[in-house]
Amino acid sequence: MTGGRFSRQSFLGTDSEQQIARCTVGVPGLGGGGSHIIQQLAHIGFKRYVLYDDDVTEESNLNRLIGAESRDARAQTPKLHIAKMKILGLQPDAIIRGYPCKWQDNPEPLRDCQIVIGAIDGYRGRRELEIACRRYLMHYVDIGMDVHGENRPVIGGQVILSSPGGPCMTCIGFLTEEKLGAEAARYGNAGSRPQVVWPNGVLASTAVGFAVELVTGWTRTARPYAYMVYNGNEATLTPSKTLKGLERHACAHFPSETVGDPIVIAL
Amino acid sequence: MNVAIKMTGRLYDEIRHDLERPHPFAFERVGFVFGKIGTAADGGRLVLLTRYHSIPDNQYIDDPTVGARIGPDAMTWAMQAVYHGRRTREGIFHIHLHGCVGETCMSRTDAREVPPMIPGFQSVGREAAHGIMILSHDHGSGWVCLPGSKDLMSCSSMSVIGMPIRVFDRGGTL
Amino acid sequence: MDYPKPQIEELKGYCRKLGVLQEGGVTFFSLEGLRLPAGCEPQICDALLCPTSRDQYPSRLFLSIKVKSPYDRNWNCENARIGEKNWFAFSWKVEGANLTLAQVLTSHLLGFTKPK
Repeated sequence: MTGGRFSRQSFLGTDSEQQIARCTVGVPGLGGGGSHIIQQLAHIGFKRYVLYDDDVTEESNLNRLIGAESRDARAQTPKLHIAKMKILGLQPDAIIRGYPCKWQDNPEPLRDCQIVIGAIDGYRGRRELEIACRRYLMHYVDIGMDVHGENRPVIGGQVILSSPGGPCMTCIGFLTEEKLGAEAARYGNAGSRPQVVWPNGVLASTAVGFAVELVTGWTRTARPYAYMVYNGNEATLTPSKTLKGLERHACAHFPSETVGDPIVIAL
Repeated sequence: MNVAIKMTGRLYDEIRHDLERPHPFAFERVGFVFGKIGTAADGGRLVLLTRYHSIPDNQYIDDPTVGARIGPDAMTWAMQAVYHGRRTREGIFHIHLHGCVGETCMSRTDAREVPPMIPGFQSVGREAAHGIMILSHDHGSGWVCLPGSKDLMSCSSMSVIGMPIRVFDRGGTL
Repeated sequence: MDYPKPQIEELKGYCRKLGVLQEGGVTFFSLEGLRLPAGCEPQICDALLCPTSRDQYPSRLFLSIKVKSPYDRNWNCENARIGEKNWFAFSWKVEGANLTLAQVLTSHLLGFTKPK
C-alpha cells in the first residue's frame, strides 16, 4: 500500500505540505546550481516561484544542467523554459513567474518572496542580492562552487544562510573587501569557471534543506545564520571557522530600520 | 493594487509576547508597530515592519464597554513618533490580537474606533503608509492607507520571515 | 559616519541637490545634477560618492551613465546596483589622507581630464 505523494515527508509536520505550498521562493539563476535547486523544490511541493535567467542551453552546459537534454543544446532552449517544465511536470498547479533577464533588470517580483536561493556568479552579485533580500525582508540562501589549482585541482564551495536580523555575509567573513577588490580588478568578470554536477548537487541539496527547515521549522532548532564550507576533495561540508563568536552578534550592516525602498535624505 | 505585509520572526514574537500579556483592567492589549514601504511587482506595495512600541499600562483608559481603550498620552506619543520618523517615511500601524483561530477581520468596535486615527497620522507623516493590523492565534490581517489615499486597503498577505516562515494569505485557510 | 557640516556645505556647490543614502553599512552621498569637467558628454549627470574604502579603492565615484570623456577610461564597474539603481564607475584611485569630501570628489573628477 502506498501513501499520498508527501506521505514520506510527514515528519516535517502536520501542516508542512500547506506551509510549503504557500511559500514563494525566488531562484535568480537557473544554471548548474539553480537547476538542481528547482528540481528538488518541485519534488518537495513548493508551488510558488519567481525565476530569472536570460541564458540558453549550450553544449557545455550538458555536463550539469539538470533537466536539459542533448536536443536542448541543439535547439538552444532557454534555461527558464527547462526550469518551468521541470516544475510543472511535478506541480501542474504551480504559479511560476519567470523572467528571461537578470533579476536586477526586473527586481520587483523577487520582493514577493519569503526565501531566495541564489546560485549566481561573483561576489558583487551576491552582495547586491543580499542587500535586496535585507531591504525587502527575505531569507537568502547562497550556494557557489569553484575549482582552483592547476597541478592538483581543489573543489571548494559554500552554502550560506543570511536572514533579516541575523549576521550578514560580511559579518560571517564570506564577503570581504579583498575578494570584492580582486573581482573588480578583473573588470568584475567572475570568469568562465570549471563546473561539475556533483558538487552542485551537494550544495543545492543542502540549500534546499535549509529552505525546508525555514518553512517548516521541523528541526525545532533556531538557525539564524549558516556558513558551510564545502571541500570536494575530502567530501566534507563543515561550518566555517569564521563563525566563532557570532552567537550574539547583531549585524551592524543592516539595521532593522533600513528596509523598504531606498530613501535619499536631503542634506 | 496588491499590498502585502512582511516582518521578521523576531518582531512577530516580540509583538505576540507583549499583546498576550494580561492587563490590570483592559480585556486586551494594543500596540503600535512601525513600517516602511517597498515597491512590489505590477504597481503593488509591500509594508515592511521595523519596530514595535508597547503601550504602557498607565496609558490605557478603564472602559469596560470595549476590549481596550488607549488614552491621549498614547496617541500623543504615536503622533510624535510619526512626526520624528517622517524623513525616513516610517508609518504607524495600530495592532492587537483577536482570540480566535484563522483569518480575522475588524470587529464593529475596531471598525468604529481605529480608522478615524489614520487621518491624524497622515497629517504628520504624509509620505508614509499607516493602518491597522490584527493577529489571531495562527493568522494575521492588515489594512493599509497608502500615502495620498483616504482608503484603507485590505492586504493580500502577511508574511513572518523567521523560522518557521509564516504566510497568512487573505482568504486562505490552513 | 558623520561628516563636518562645512564639508557637506562645500559639497553642495558641485551639484543641484545633495543627499545621503545608507546601504549595507555604507554611506553614499547622492549628487543629483553633478557638473562634470569640460569635454565630458553629457556635462551633467547624477552620481554617488562613496568616500570610504570600497572594493579596495580608498573611495569611489559612481555615475548614472557611462560618461564620454577626452581620455579613454577603464570602466571596470558596470551596472553596479546601489540604492535600487544601476551605476557605473571607472578605475581611478584617489590617494591622500584627511581629504575633505569636496577634495575626494574633485580628485575623482580629475580622472576625466588627466591622461592617466
